[in-house]
Amino acid sequence: MDRAIGAAAWLARRIGGAVAVWVLISFLAFSLGAFAPGDPAEVMLLRRTGDPPAEADVERLRHELGLDRPFALRYAAWFSAAVRGDFGRSYRTGRPVIGELQARFPATLSLAVAALAVGLVIAIPLAIVSVAARDTVLDHGARLVALAGVSVPSYWLAYVLMLVFAVQLGLLPVSGAGDIRHLVLPALTLGLGSAATVTRLLRASLLEEMSSGYVRTARAKGMSRLPVLVRHALRNALNPVITLSALRFGRLLGEAAIVETVFAWPGIGRWMVESIYDRDYPAIQGFVLYIATVFVFLNFAVDCSYRLLDPRVRVGGPAFGRG
Amino acid sequence: MSNGPPRTARDLRRLLLLPLFICSCGEPRGAPGREARSLIIAYGADEFPLTANRDRLGRYPLNAGICEPLVRLTADFSVAPALAARWEPAGNDAVRFVLRPGITFSDGAPLDSRAVAHTLSSSARARTDYSFLSDTSVRVIDDTTFDVRPTRINRRLVDQLVHPTYGIVEPASDPANHPICSGPFRLAEYVAHDHLTVVRNERYRGTAARLDTLVFRFIPDETTRTLALRAGQIDAMVDVGPSNAIALARDPKLRVVTAPPGAVIVMYMNLNGAAPFDQLRDGTLRRAVAMAIDRRTLVERVLGGPHAAMVATVNPPAVLGAFAALVQGVPYSPDAARRALGGRRHALRLIAQTSSIDRATVEFVQAQLSEAGVDVTVEPLDAAAFESRLNSGAFDLDLELPNQNDANPAFLLALRWYSKSNTRSARFTHASARFDALVEAALGAPTDDEARRTAAVAMHQLVDVEVGAVPLAGVSRIYAMRESVRGFVPHPSRLNQDWSTVWIAR
Repeated sequence: MDRAIGAAAWLARRIGGAVAVWVLISFLAFSLGAFAPGDPAEVMLLRRTGDPPAEADVERLRHELGLDRPFALRYAAWFSAAVRGDFGRSYRTGRPVIGELQARFPATLSLAVAALAVGLVIAIPLAIVSVAARDTVLDHGARLVALAGVSVPSYWLAYVLMLVFAVQLGLLPVSGAGDIRHLVLPALTLGLGSAATVTRLLRASLLEEMSSGYVRTARAKGMSRLPVLVRHALRNALNPVITLSALRFGRLLGEAAIVETVFAWPGIGRWMVESIYDRDYPAIQGFVLYIATVFVFLNFAVDCSYRLLDPRVRVGGPAFGRG
Repeated sequence: MSNGPPRTARDLRRLLLLPLFICSCGEPRGAPGREARSLIIAYGADEFPLTANRDRLGRYPLNAGICEPLVRLTADFSVAPALAARWEPAGNDAVRFVLRPGITFSDGAPLDSRAVAHTLSSSARARTDYSFLSDTSVRVIDDTTFDVRPTRINRRLVDQLVHPTYGIVEPASDPANHPICSGPFRLAEYVAHDHLTVVRNERYRGTAARLDTLVFRFIPDETTRTLALRAGQIDAMVDVGPSNAIALARDPKLRVVTAPPGAVIVMYMNLNGAAPFDQLRDGTLRRAVAMAIDRRTLVERVLGGPHAAMVATVNPPAVLGAFAALVQGVPYSPDAARRALGGRRHALRLIAQTSSIDRATVEFVQAQLSEAGVDVTVEPLDAAAFESRLNSGAFDLDLELPNQNDANPAFLLALRWYSKSNTRSARFTHASARFDALVEAALGAPTDDEARRTAAVAMHQLVDVEVGAVPLAGVSRIYAMRESVRGFVPHPSRLNQDWSTVWIAR
C-alpha cells in the first residue's frame, strides 16, 4: 500500500515537473521571438518584391498580424490556443503551424530513427571490439574513431560523405528525398555523431561490467572472454545506452536542422532554419514547443522505463539512478 | 583468449564493408535513367510556398519560362516586344498596347486583352505599388488593344512591365497551383521544396524550346548543388559562388558561364542620421571614405575572377547605355583621404547582409578605411536584423547588393536616395533637392534615351558631386553546367533568364 502511494506521488511529481518545464519553455519561446531583432512584417514585404517595403505597408501588415498589441496579451492568446494544439498560422506560408509541423515531422522522424539505428549499429560492435581488444591498436583505433565522431562538425562530414559516396563512387544521391537511398547519407551524417557518444558510454559501461563478480565466475568456469562479453556483460551494459538513446533521439530531432539544410531533406529542421531567417514567430514558437513536448515526453518515458526495467530503482530505495 | 582480438578484427572488417556492399546496388555514376532531351537545373531554396509569392508559381522568384509578359528585358536592359507587338503613349497618362495577333495559352484558349486586364489587376493587388497600377488601370478597347493607365503619371511603366510578375496568366487557371500561360514551356509538375518540372509548350508563338523537359530541383545549399553537378546528378546549376566557380572551371567535363553584371555592390551612407550616426552628414568625411577604397584591388584581388567588374554607377552600367560615362566615381587616393581627415581618426559603424555580401569584401573595406584613419565596426546581419537596423537609422555605412531586374534606369535612385520614396530607410539615405529634381526628370522623361541620360546625370550628382553612395564593384551571376549543355545565353538579370534556347549535345 505504501509502495503504491509512493509510486503515485512520484508519478504526480514527475507529471507536475513536466508541465512546469513545458510552460516555462513556452514562455521562453514566445519571448525570444518577440524580442529578437527584426520585423516579420518587413521581411514578408521584402520577400514580395525583393525591394524595401513602404512604411505604410509595413504598419498595415503589423496591425493585420497583431504585432502592435501588448506582449502580455499576445502571449496569453497564443498560450491558450497552444494548449489546444493551435500554434497559429505561419507568417511565411499562411498555413497552420501545426499542419506544417505534421507535414514535415515524418521526414525528420525517419531521419532521426535511421540516424539512431546507424549510431547503434556502429557503436555496439565498436565498443565490443574496443573492450575485447582493450589497450591494443584496435582499441585505440575505435576510441579515436569515437573521438573523431564527436569532434567533427556535421556539415563538414556531410560534404565529405557526398564527395566519397556521390561524386567519387557514384553510389548515392547527393540530396533530396525519394527512395531509401536518399536517406543513407543524411542518416550517416547524423548517426556518426551519435555513434561516437554511444560508443564511449558503452565502452565504459562494458568495462565496468567486465570487472563484476558474475563475469569473474563465468571466466572461472572456463568461458572465453568474447562470449562472456557478448552474452552476459553486454546485456547489463546496455541499460544506460537505452536511456541515452532515448534522450539522443530527442536531440537528433533538433540537430537535424543543419543536416536537412545541407541535404535538402524536407523535414522540420530545415523549415525551422528558414523560419528563423524570416522571423516567422508562430513557426519558431510552434517548433520549439513541439520539440520541447517530445523531449519532455521522452524524458518522462525514460524515467518510467528506468523504474520498470531496473529492479534496483525503487521508491524509498537507494539514492542512485533516477529513482 | 588469445584468439579474441583477431576474430574481433575480422568481424569489424565485415561490419565496415557491409554498407559499401549494400550501396553497390545503386545506380552507376552518370546514368541517371532519364530522357536525353531533358535538363535538370539545380536552383536555390523553393520560395513559392511563401505567402508573398502565392499566385506566382513558375514566375517569381524562379522564372521557369511558363509565362510571358507584354514586353521583355533584353541583355542590355532595353525593352523589346513580347506578347505586345507595339505600344505608344495614349494621351498624357496612359500607354496603348497592341497584342500580337492569334496568340493562345498553352491549353489553346485565346490570349486577349481581357486576360491581360485580369493579370495586371491581380498583380496590382499582390505587389507593393511601384508601378502605380490598380484594379481599374486596364481599359479594354478590343481583343488585342488596351490602354494601361496608372493611378499617377508613370512614364517608366513599360520599363517596369518586363518584370516576370507581370507574366500573363489565363484567367480561368489557378496561378498558385497550376498556372496556364503562353511561354515556351508549360507546367507539368510541382512538388514544394523538391522540384518544378516544365515541358515544351507546343503552342508557343515563337521559336519552340529545344528541350522537351526542364526540371528545376530546389537545393538550398550552394556546395551541395556543386557536388550534385560534379556527381553528374544534375546538368546545370545557378548561383555558383566565386570559390566554387574556380574549382568547377578546372573540371574538363564542366563549363562555368558568367553573365554580364546584373548587380552592383554599393556602399550606402547615412546622410541624414541622428547622433551618434550623424557623422556622414559631413561631405568631406564622405569623400574621404570614398577616396580611401581601392576599388580596382577589390575587383581584381578580393572578388577576383571574371564575375566582378569595375563600375562607377550604382546600377549595372548597361542600364544607362552610353550615358554611363557621365558617372566617373571618386578616384582612389588614400593620401588625399588622410589629408581630408586632417589627421583625426573617425569611428563609423558598418552594417552588411551576410547573405549577399561576403566577408572578404567587408574586411577589405574595413582595412582600407582604417589605413585612411576611419575605424569601422562591422556588424554582419541576417536579412531581418539588417532591415530592422537600416530602418532605425542605427548605422553609418551599409553594404548591399541590389539587383536590376527591369529597364527603368532610375529605379534604384528613386527607391533609395529619393526623398519622396516610400521606403522607410530613405529618410536616412536620401540625397539633396537637386538630386530629387533630377530623379523626377528621369522618371518623367518622355523617351528611353532621355530617361537614361537624366538618370545618368542624377547618378553623377549622387556619386561624384554629393558622394552619397560609393559603387564598389559590378557583380555577375555565375552558372555552371555540363560541357554537353549548349545554347545557354546568360542574362544579366536572373529573373529574365531564358532556358528555351538550351539543348544537350550528344
